[in-house]
Amino acid sequence: MQEISFRKDILPLKDKLFRLALRITLNRAEAEDVVQDTMLRVWSRRNEWSKFDSIEAFCMTVARNLAIDRSEKMDAKNLELIPEMEQATDASGPYNLLVQTERLDLIHQLINKLPEKQRTVIQLRDIEGKNYKEIAKVMGLTEEQVKVTLFRARQKVKEQYLAIDGYGL
Amino acid sequence: MDYKNIEQLLERYWRCETSLEEENRLRDFFTSGEVPAALLPYKELFVYQKEQQIEGLGADFDARMLSKVESPVVKAKHLSLVSRFKPLFRAAAVVTVFLMLGNVAQRSLFHNDALDYNYNNYRDTYDDPNVAYKKVSSALLILSDEISKSNNQNSADSICKAATDSVMNE
Repeated sequence: MQEISFRKDILPLKDKLFRLALRITLNRAEAEDVVQDTMLRVWSRRNEWSKFDSIEAFCMTVARNLAIDRSEKMDAKNLELIPEMEQATDASGPYNLLVQTERLDLIHQLINKLPEKQRTVIQLRDIEGKNYKEIAKVMGLTEEQVKVTLFRARQKVKEQYLAIDGYGL
Repeated sequence: MDYKNIEQLLERYWRCETSLEEENRLRDFFTSGEVPAALLPYKELFVYQKEQQIEGLGADFDARMLSKVESPVVKAKHLSLVSRFKPLFRAAAVVTVFLMLGNVAQRSLFHNDALDYNYNNYRDTYDDPNVAYKKVSSALLILSDEISKSNNQNSADSICKAATDSVMNE
């Protein structure tokens, strides 16, 4: 098996780990701390690196667990969706860049409002482009469970987005 | 672009039946160029997915992380006896060089005072042989006096010593 180097194999995962941690904690500073803690934890287990099938999946799992811990400690300040929705629907101007930015913000809020599991699945599938097997490994679920979770997440985002968007237009 | 195909793909996307490649095609379609009005509401959803892919941490994070992980290791350096005394040897070498330079300087400055052992180079000091004879004989006389004086002293010492020894033996 190829030797794993911290600098070449683990450090480049920082962006992926950061995005995942950000999706769970919804706070940039917290997410950065999560990535740092993840890497330190992975580093402290460097003797076992060769035993892992995928060091990336292992890092992702550690980051996810740490992020969940942190967001629970922060008492997960859930975004109040209602005022933001109202604000978003106020944008009744022409279909221009401003509206596009507002729509992107709206999607951001809709996804971040989902339960942690659904958010993470959306993040890993639609943004990181992972297959079901990899997602299942990171999250400790079966592939079928991942698929069901993703289905629910996509449906929820679609319904809410179309409802708000249709009303706004 | 076959919009019908895209619509079908989109339907399958919502049902989670698309492959990763098909989802990439959807993202590419919605983020590049024209999107028909019927599909416009979904545009931002895929634009958002693509935008989120570039989120990340700066290079300063790498530096911070590496400084935490690869902390400098202080290694004990093995010092041999020779390397331990190296500065001393250097000082000695410098002193030697200075002494040698001094020696050379001294030799070159007082070169004329050096003894000449080649008798052929000797020249007469006096023009008159009689004066030279007198000088030499007086010098030899002084030498002879000194030798006899020291001989007497030596014999007096030995008599004295013998006397002391015999007294002690008795």
